[in-house]
Amino acid sequence: MTAATIQRNRPSGFRISKRVLPYLLSLPALLVCIGILIPFFTSVVYSFQRYRLSQPWARQFNWGDNYISFFTDPKFWNTLQVSLLYAGITVVLELLLGLGIAMLLQKRSTLNNFISIMLLMPLMTAPALAALMWKLMTNPGFGVLSYLASLIGLQDFRWASSPSTALLTVVLVDIWVYTPFIMILLLAGLRSLPTQPFEAAALDGVPRSFVFFRITLPMLTPYILTATLFRLLDSIQQFDIIYAMTQGGPGDTLTVFQVEAYLNFFQSTNVGRSAALMIILWAITYFLSNIFIKNWLRLRERARGQA
Amino acid sequence: MASLELRNIVKRYKSQTVLDNLSLTVADGETLVLFGPSGAGKTVLLRLVAGVIDPDEGKILIGGEDMTDLDAEFRGVGMAFQNFALFPHMTAFDNIATPLQAKHSSQGTIKTGVESVAKLLKIGHVLSHKPRALSNGQKQRTALARALVGSPPLLLLDDPLRNVDAKLRFEMRLELPRLLADRGATVIYVTQDYKEAMALGDRIAVMSQGVVKQLGTPEQIYREPANVEIARLFGDPTINLLDVKPSRDAKGIYVGLSNVQVHLAGAHEAAVGRDCVIGLRPEALAFVDEGTPGAIPVTVEAETPLNEKIVTLARTVRGREILVSRPSGTPGQSEGRAHIAVDSKSALLFDRASGERIGSKNVVNLRSGEAA
Amino acid sequence: MEHTSLLERILRGIALALVVIFFMFPIVWILMMSFQTNETILRIPPQLVFEPTLANYTALITGKLMTAAGTLDIAFMRNLCNSVFLSVTSVAVALLLGVPAAYAFARHKFRGSEDIAFTLLSFRFAPALLVLLPLTLYFQKLGLANTYIGLIWVYQLICLPLILWIVRGYFEDIPADIEYAYRIAGHSWFATFRKIALPLAGPGIAAAGLLAFIFAWNNFVFALVLASADKQPVTVGALAFITSSGIQYGQISAAIVLSITPTLALALYAQRYLVEGLSLGAVKG
Repeated sequence: MTAATIQRNRPSGFRISKRVLPYLLSLPALLVCIGILIPFFTSVVYSFQRYRLSQPWARQFNWGDNYISFFTDPKFWNTLQVSLLYAGITVVLELLLGLGIAMLLQKRSTLNNFISIMLLMPLMTAPALAALMWKLMTNPGFGVLSYLASLIGLQDFRWASSPSTALLTVVLVDIWVYTPFIMILLLAGLRSLPTQPFEAAALDGVPRSFVFFRITLPMLTPYILTATLFRLLDSIQQFDIIYAMTQGGPGDTLTVFQVEAYLNFFQSTNVGRSAALMIILWAITYFLSNIFIKNWLRLRERARGQA
Repeated sequence: MASLELRNIVKRYKSQTVLDNLSLTVADGETLVLFGPSGAGKTVLLRLVAGVIDPDEGKILIGGEDMTDLDAEFRGVGMAFQNFALFPHMTAFDNIATPLQAKHSSQGTIKTGVESVAKLLKIGHVLSHKPRALSNGQKQRTALARALVGSPPLLLLDDPLRNVDAKLRFEMRLELPRLLADRGATVIYVTQDYKEAMALGDRIAVMSQGVVKQLGTPEQIYREPANVEIARLFGDPTINLLDVKPSRDAKGIYVGLSNVQVHLAGAHEAAVGRDCVIGLRPEALAFVDEGTPGAIPVTVEAETPLNEKIVTLARTVRGREILVSRPSGTPGQSEGRAHIAVDSKSALLFDRASGERIGSKNVVNLRSGEAA
Repeated sequence: MEHTSLLERILRGIALALVVIFFMFPIVWILMMSFQTNETILRIPPQLVFEPTLANYTALITGKLMTAAGTLDIAFMRNLCNSVFLSVTSVAVALLLGVPAAYAFARHKFRGSEDIAFTLLSFRFAPALLVLLPLTLYFQKLGLANTYIGLIWVYQLICLPLILWIVRGYFEDIPADIEYAYRIAGHSWFATFRKIALPLAGPGIAAAGLLAFIFAWNNFVFALVLASADKQPVTVGALAFITSSGIQYGQISAAIVLSITPTLALALYAQRYLVEGLSLGAVKG
């Protein structure tokens, strides 16, 4: 009887082997991505070519010329400087601000939860649209922020249209959009910390600055690290806000990597230089994301271990 | 129903060998208990049989058929997991019904099948509940019901009583053997509890580090453990283990215990002159009057009741601790100086270096040795 | 903290108020502008009290804008439809491709699985233009330039890694024994995937889908590079609108409000999943 039962359950017809199955499941996703991977290698090739869309006949390999010319190219150094400056300023300010707000909202209360949900809204606004919103608000003719600036004595404050304040303006938009990201991550971190060390410190009357620097900060480090690296990777590649706000201008004040590459490609049709710029940016992000992924994996393991 | 045969099974995880060339046969309708410490490979073995993981080498035959390459759903076995592994989004009824649904049984068949097994396991009243609304005991019974409902010819039970409270474990230990016997199924039962192993197993396979150290009836495992480790794992209170060096005189092989020569007439020749450990079950020791031949002087230090037994902690003149147990209600000694005698029938000799028991049979003279 | 002084509480209150004002003000202000006529907008100082008008929204929705100079066509509704279509389809495709792959990565530690998963993750961190610029040239050759299919394909760069990594985490959280139990009960791997894994990872899949939708909707650079006016989503369309309409600030504000409303609504609806999703489950614990 049993033998018969087992016999009837035997697999029949089409059957997928256990070894092939996982490949089969992930294959479609892989194929789609491989299609997108090819342009990456194309970029590498382009970056070693003299290639202008306007002069396709003159296309030829010039090997490292695109890269070597960067050394003596003030525009490149400007790009590098602005990109790093932008990334550095936004990440530091957002981190400080995000940590401050997270600590203000740390206590669970209806009001605090409500505020933290409200603060999600800038983050969920498309950065390009956020830039447009701020562009409207900083319009020299009717913008409410220009009006407010004039109230505090800054007559004719030109925001993004003046080279001296353009960086400040886009940084402000970046802060508006992305501070909530850091705040939310750090708030989750703060609220997940064990309470005993803080209670013990409070009982012992330990000064609060000491508690902050010796207990809170070290315990929050994994969260701070995650948030920082996430933001750093995004920020050094910022395109949407800057392009929507100023197209890299005025002049070349804000030609960060991606904006510069975009302009090189579509305006000066210099594909070779554009590709070389992207490869350099890629190298920077690759370096950063490697640090990031290593730390992140370790933290993930630890979080899983604790659970 | 279905016999099970494992041939030279090898399973590695990364560089670690979890099962090392393991072969095992379980007869039709037999209950085999896999016993051993955690990490011994018991659960891995069950999963290999169930077909949810694959062996690196070797063959698995169920009912004489090679099932090594067959996926789990085609093997027709039933399994209960230690952590129950109930489907959290289904009611208890639907949980139990899954094996029947897989066979495309009719709604009516499923209903009667589930309800009868639920009645048997006394969970008929909670069938509409989701697992999170069930008590641990009910979860365990639901998991068991799910394994039993399809009347699988081969049942795999992975320490099903591990995560339930002591009272329920005690009840189930009495209930399970009948339940399994009624089913007539071949059963592999994994446990870390020697009492469960003794109560349920037709045979017990003692596993350690991926190999079967000993395979035998509960009686054999208890009377003739293959090594010190197994002797220690079975029995409560644990076996007394004392270092000895057997010698031989005209009357045969003897060991010195607290300056008393105890003759082990049936002891294996190989033990002579070797560094050994003698294993004495607490119930094989008894208090005797001074002057009884072979009586060992001790000091009684403490007395504790343990279930239906009374356990006495005594110390020999050399300062070694010895546990003596006797049935409750029998006379004993609760303090001061006393004498104990060894029922040397059940004395066991192990090689001190390897821990292996010396000689296949340790037949010991009825008459214990005499005082020197 | 029972010894918080009154002063400290006042300072905290002020700080919180400033935070709320800074982050909420732009949204509120644009919302107000969207209900104003151009004359009220251009008045200085800016007006807090005004007579609200729906004219901006009607102009956007009907696609006709009456001005002194005549009638102006606004293609904004088309952009909105493009955004909806592109985001929904991209997320659907990404779920279709990503969920099975996530399952494979979570359950079967096959050869190279970690490497592949990381490669996919690295898309999340690679500069978009690195891939996009050569892609424009390829797309022109393949006839994919300015097509929905081409755009949806490229949108997978945003949606797939997100779904893959979030959903994989949820699949990993399902105890393997539960799936084993269902297999042993006699069900195929596909039945197990459908009846056990999918329902149990359901909330995670929903969250990943929502987040992918928000990211797809908010994307700017892909469509800027690869789509022309008739295929552009709102992010690019609004920028074009601002350039072309010049001084129609009321309509621009209304357009922005319409463009950010879907993501804001979704975000508020799914806020409890956002933390995990945003960090790709990085600090889950």
